[in-house]
Amino acid sequence: MSKIRENLPGPADGQPLPAEPLTRVYEVFLQPTRNEPHVQVGSVNAADDQMALDFARETFGRRQACAHIWVVRRDHLVGTVYGEDFMERACDRGYREARGYQEVRRKWEQFRRKGDVDEYQKDDLKEAF
Amino acid sequence: MSIGGQMEEPKLGGTETEDPQKLAEFQARIDSGDLIERDDWMPEAYRTGMLRMAEHHANSEIVGALPEGEWITRAPSLRRKLALIAKVQDEVGHGLMLYRVAEDLGKPRDQMLRDLIEGRTKYHNVFNYPVPTWADVAMIAWLVDGAAILNQKTLADGSYAPYVRTMRRINAEEAFHFKHGEDMVLTLMSGTGRQKQMAQEAFDRWWWPVLMFFGPPDKESRHNAPHLKWRIKTASNDTLRQKFVNRFVPAALDLGFRIPDPNLRREDRTGNWLTSPPDWDEFFRVIRGNGPCNAKRLALRRLSYEQGQWVRRAVTGQLGLSAA
Repeated sequence: MSKIRENLPGPADGQPLPAEPLTRVYEVFLQPTRNEPHVQVGSVNAADDQMALDFARETFGRRQACAHIWVVRRDHLVGTVYGEDFMERACDRGYREARGYQEVRRKWEQFRRKGDVDEYQKDDLKEAF
Repeated sequence: MSIGGQMEEPKLGGTETEDPQKLAEFQARIDSGDLIERDDWMPEAYRTGMLRMAEHHANSEIVGALPEGEWITRAPSLRRKLALIAKVQDEVGHGLMLYRVAEDLGKPRDQMLRDLIEGRTKYHNVFNYPVPTWADVAMIAWLVDGAAILNQKTLADGSYAPYVRTMRRINAEEAFHFKHGEDMVLTLMSGTGRQKQMAQEAFDRWWWPVLMFFGPPDKESRHNAPHLKWRIKTASNDTLRQKFVNRFVPAALDLGFRIPDPNLRREDRTGNWLTSPPDWDEFFRVIRGNGPCNAKRLALRRLSYEQGQWVRRAVTGQLGLSAA
């Protein structure tokens, strides 16, 4: 066992612990590979931008693929508020989504055989969002 | 590592001062599976309950790395050394992430580090026990990490989003800790007579502390109800303990371990393995500071904190000045 661990001072030996200098909170956005978007993975405490990058890499890039990191001071982030009117929508938005056009399939089948419609539709994009 | 159920579980404060309408809406959110974010309204008792849980968990990760750190210089092979270093790095990283969750619930980070060193807050009782042989390292990674992962899976199903997200990341990282533990135990039990004996003696040392990892019996945990109602925890202590026993007893018996419990038996009707009651008096004694390693663990934390102070001051430009 190392000498340090054998000769540890007890609480009675020490003076009161001095205060730790303050740090800021940075949010961390990590891009796993260059082909993917950045994702918010958590936050770190750091004294400055470079330290935030170092800690972000060690904390979040240590165990996963990590091509790129952004860190942003939390107080520099601008965001919405849950539940506020900002996100409210006036009506159902089916007219601007593929799911709002379910009857198109049936209309095709007035003109074409089911199998031909299947073949025709097979490469249609699925909605991603 | 995980907190399991907390012995001397901090009582959640009352909700008498909360607006009953807001409380009811909050409960409805929880019941519908909504996740609570940092800036959402929450009862004060929920905030403090989650904070204590995250803080206890963070403390356990940091202190849990200390006994394993003792063995980095004494690992029997390079591969084991690499795995042990990686495991320790992971645990420190988990502690950092969990202190962030706790700090965002309202307690300054530095206060948490001091409270741990000065004995005002606690950590998992298992880490108050010594690690005298390499087989103890193996038992910790197999049994204690095994117990922790079992518990953490249920915590990942909880209600507080920042903690839940952290649980998911921790669980993914812990998978190899457990595999590494299994590999060490399997290697020992496939080895020489001396290795098997060392492993059995370590098993005898860790079996009961691990069973108590999940916290006191449900019937003595009156304080559990708010934790479960608000999905701060999502499974009871006894449920988790039984699940652990059902998984690990047959495995240990197949490996050739004798389980240090003369009353251990399998109940045919349920398939459950039934154990003797653990010695909760011993548990209380140890967690209150009278265990074999409590003083040593905290002394090493204090040394690290004090000796790291000049680094902290240098990088934050406060060389030679005392912070207010």
